[in-house]
Amino acid sequence: MAKARALDKRRKSIRNIRKITRTMELIARAKYKKAMDRALAATAYTQRVTQVVARLAEAGLAVSHPLLEAHEKVENAALLVLTANRGLCGGYNGGVIRIATPRYQELKASIPHLRLEISGKRGIAGLKYRNVKIDETYLQFNDQPKFEEVEPIATRFLNDYATGKLDRLDVAYTKFISTSKQTAVVETLLPLGSLGGDEPAAKPGAKSGEAKSDQTQYEFLPSAESILKEVVPMSFKIRLFKCFLDAAVSEQIARMVAMKSATENASEMIRDLSMTYNRARQSQITGEIMEIIGGVEALKGT
Amino acid sequence: MPGTLHCVVVTPEQTALDQTAEFVALPLFDGEIGIAPNHSPLIGRLGYGEMRVKSGGTTKTLYVDGGFVEVAGNVVSVFTNRAVPAAKIDGSAAETQLANAIRHPASTPGQLEIRDRQIAQARAQIRIARRARL
Repeated sequence: MAKARALDKRRKSIRNIRKITRTMELIARAKYKKAMDRALAATAYTQRVTQVVARLAEAGLAVSHPLLEAHEKVENAALLVLTANRGLCGGYNGGVIRIATPRYQELKASIPHLRLEISGKRGIAGLKYRNVKIDETYLQFNDQPKFEEVEPIATRFLNDYATGKLDRLDVAYTKFISTSKQTAVVETLLPLGSLGGDEPAAKPGAKSGEAKSDQTQYEFLPSAESILKEVVPMSFKIRLFKCFLDAAVSEQIARMVAMKSATENASEMIRDLSMTYNRARQSQITGEIMEIIGGVEALKGT
Repeated sequence: MPGTLHCVVVTPEQTALDQTAEFVALPLFDGEIGIAPNHSPLIGRLGYGEMRVKSGGTTKTLYVDGGFVEVAGNVVSVFTNRAVPAAKIDGSAAETQLANAIRHPASTPGQLEIRDRQIAQARAQIRIARRARL
């Protein structure tokens, strides 16, 4: 009976694991929905900012701002890596680390001062293992990054950039493209390449806004230049915030997918084990019957 | 009712306010502006301060933290980094920010600008918090 019992024990423990993974999948799904709603709210906001930029452009203002221009000498750079605080989400953290490490080495080779900032326990552990010096870590970002939490970081980068303490900022994170596709990317956020949303979804919205506003003449208070001065830092903050949101959404999707396949694998294993268990039990019964018959035959002979 | 405003306040996280109003007062970068129905189209840069939304005899007070306002066709859309109801402002945090900002030395125009902004933010919050407590 020993073999059959061991199989049964294993089957039970796999059943428990399946319960856990299924629950985790459900939790990830709920969190994903919430994170997605927030990402959508942020998109609405981005669209409005893009609209203002479009209005400014209509007013015939040349869009120029110190943040849009690259510094002549790049001596101080920062690399921000966004990973998750928790594991069990497939290749999510690995993907970000894998793409961030070469960029780190590349920057390290060409720029004298490089700061490395990491959000998420997994990234911190992963890069420590690779013997990389980390300058700053953040652990406070979970499935719902708050703008209030991102803003101080954004403000610090902006202030450093304005005062010349920072010449370049790269962010490594997982970009959310669609529900079925997320890719790890490294993007340069400072100097800001262009204004407004980088996602194509924001652009058609801005265009329809333009068409509507053909008749309306806007009054700019206090002046169009002053508005521009505010729009640029704001769009940087939003872009950084969007990175955090994308990372959060992608993490939940990655976990959902990983847990789903884990649950499926567990079910398959249970099926296989059940079959082996039944076979083992049957062969044992057959064996016992054979023994009894053998015994009876032996008695008959005497 | 003819001539009411529709007031929408959005932050990057959420829509903080979406209601009709009879009058909206906003802190612009260089002074307060009042917006009554049928205001001409306008895009304005907001400062740090108190936003009041009057509707049906009640007035809602919010602290807005920079951003913009767009007025077009009786719709007032405000987009700001933060919109906090007056009752929820953390006065003590603002006090510490003010104290830190004043203590912080500023020698370049860039640093000066940063300091001025922090001081303005903190002072506006303290003012609103104080008024809310009265």
